[in-house]
Amino acid sequence: MDGTFLLQQLVNGLTLGSVYALIALGYSLVYGILKLLNFAHGEVYMIGAFIGYFVLIGLGGPEDLAVPVAVALTLMFLAAMLGSGLLGVLIERFAYRRLRNAPRIAPLITALGVAFFLQSSALLLFGAQFRSYGTFQFMTGGIEVAGVRISTTRILVVVAAFSLMIALTLLVGRTTLGKAMRATAYDREAAAMMGIDVDRVIVATFLIGSILAGAAGVMFGLVFFSVYHLMGFTAGLKGFTAAVVGGIGSIPGAMLGGLLIGLAEAFSAAYISSTFQDLIVFSILIAVMLFRPTGLLGKADIRKV
Amino acid sequence: MRRAATLLSLALVLGLSLVAAGCGGDDDDEAGGDTTTAATTEDGGGAAADCTGSIGVMAPITGDAASIGEEQLNFTKFAVSQYNEENGTSFELVEGDTQLDPAQASTVAQRFVSDDDILAVIGPAGSQEVEAVGPIFTRENLGFVGASATATALTESGDLPTFHRVVPNDAAQGPTIGEFIAEELDAQTVFIVDDQTSYSTGLAESATESLEGADVTVERDSVNQDQSDFSALVSRAADADVVFLPWQLANKGQVFAQQLQEQGSDAVVFGSDGLFSSDFTAEGAYVSSFAPDITAIESSAELVEAYEAEYGEFTSTFGPPMHAATTIALEAITAVCEEGEPTREAIAEQIGETELEESILGGPLAFDENGDVEGAQFYIFRVLGGGEYEPVDA
Repeated sequence: MDGTFLLQQLVNGLTLGSVYALIALGYSLVYGILKLLNFAHGEVYMIGAFIGYFVLIGLGGPEDLAVPVAVALTLMFLAAMLGSGLLGVLIERFAYRRLRNAPRIAPLITALGVAFFLQSSALLLFGAQFRSYGTFQFMTGGIEVAGVRISTTRILVVVAAFSLMIALTLLVGRTTLGKAMRATAYDREAAAMMGIDVDRVIVATFLIGSILAGAAGVMFGLVFFSVYHLMGFTAGLKGFTAAVVGGIGSIPGAMLGGLLIGLAEAFSAAYISSTFQDLIVFSILIAVMLFRPTGLLGKADIRKV
Repeated sequence: MRRAATLLSLALVLGLSLVAAGCGGDDDDEAGGDTTTAATTEDGGGAAADCTGSIGVMAPITGDAASIGEEQLNFTKFAVSQYNEENGTSFELVEGDTQLDPAQASTVAQRFVSDDDILAVIGPAGSQEVEAVGPIFTRENLGFVGASATATALTESGDLPTFHRVVPNDAAQGPTIGEFIAEELDAQTVFIVDDQTSYSTGLAESATESLEGADVTVERDSVNQDQSDFSALVSRAADADVVFLPWQLANKGQVFAQQLQEQGSDAVVFGSDGLFSSDFTAEGAYVSSFAPDITAIESSAELVEAYEAEYGEFTSTFGPPMHAATTIALEAITAVCEEGEPTREAIAEQIGETELEESILGGPLAFDENGDVEGAQFYIFRVLGGGEYEPVDA
């Protein structure tokens, strides 16, 4: 039982951790470039989950799909990523752009406002009840490793999350846009002086971060079924914690932080008690902040005066 | 005894028809006959005072528990319109949405007490909400009748003199469930997960006591209902014979049951009354309920038919007790009306003395001195495939 049990927790933690990592990336990307904590990010993730849900229902629902499962999943992911990405860009355009040179507290409060706006809009549009992806029968297939059943959806979620993270790393590391993003993060004014269109870089950053959040929303719905208008708050908080633990502004840090938080949740619920799960997760956050204030992989923010 | 009861109800029917006449009703008077009515009024002498006013209803009309809130609201509306029709009264209903949130419930309660038209309140749904609104209603002597709040302390503490409930309390629920799990399901090990609310921990406590009394091994944990992933907890519960979830969000119970199945466990899930809803459809699971399945009660068949004709089908057991509660409150208001200008205080007192001869829940309904319903009993249902519930004969 012990080995199997441990492996089971690893699977549980990895699935949850991948979702957290994708959310954390959005926080980290935006913070890296704008030094803005985009608290509306969790709500973008919630909208993504809803878009996935409505595509699934539009295709006939999980019981009675009009198209093969693979096609349905692809469409759900594409629609959610596109919709969330667009939403992210709109938020940047209407809520943050005019405040770009305002004191940092102003966009922070605006971010909270946008979060509540999206939450209440979802309540108004979709109602308050829980909706279930109902994708349970997708879960029955799967493989068995050392006595642990790993469902196809969990494999799909982990693989998709890691592919997205690799794609992001390549994008930031190897492309011109990535180079521009890094330059803007390093010094916005200097980047602008070098002829980088900072506005476009910022829009691209919001787009990419929100696309990842949309994908995370659909993943969450697939594995944990239920979507509702308040789901963004808790997930956003965990994603933010993950970004801070990993070192906010750092891309590999966000991934590491997400996986760490996911695994910590799974193991504390399994070996200690789920009562103290959140206590343990946030204790980790405090411990990291005490010993490495910049996060595990973050760099110190050196300022010339 | 029997003769006294007959005499009493005779007096009542007489009194009621007088009331109906006094309130200017022109209905064909079959009131006492087919359904519910019968209040212990002293004697219905003379024309009643102007018998109008409102009752407030508090229910989770939106929010996580919206599916039960809607049924609660509909059954209340149904009871009011039915009562008005039968007695020629014109009582009105004021709606208050609590979202199953104690803070929201307090806001609604403040609004209700400051509305002079409101003479009595039905609800709120959750025990923690009753705790929140209790002091407000107590201060204003406003009577409120609960139809789904089952925490034992609400009535036993004596802090809420104007509170009555038409459903049994958890002192009965825990042992009923414990006994069933130990004897009928023959479980050796039981895993109990509470959701960290007062309703849930109280119920988990009393079930644990009863199970341990029957030599069943009990393991406990708790989980925050903001959470959507229970897989790690599920791995720990997987080896138990029965998993008992005293929760209030049916959807979360459903996720828990599915994750158990996903990990290949064959533990039987047992949900408390909070999971009794169309959102909880785990085949082979059991749920308890504070109210019977009224579609199986012969004397309520007409009511069920009339309700469904107007509001459509209902799936939970949260609705019908609201009907009983509303009818009792309206009876009490009518009784006080006869004496003169109705005051909230007199109505609150009268509620405790009001009895129904044949309530929608089957059989008579009366309160004991604590405000609890007399002869309380819990019911157990089995979840069949496709989300159908079947009553289990205890």
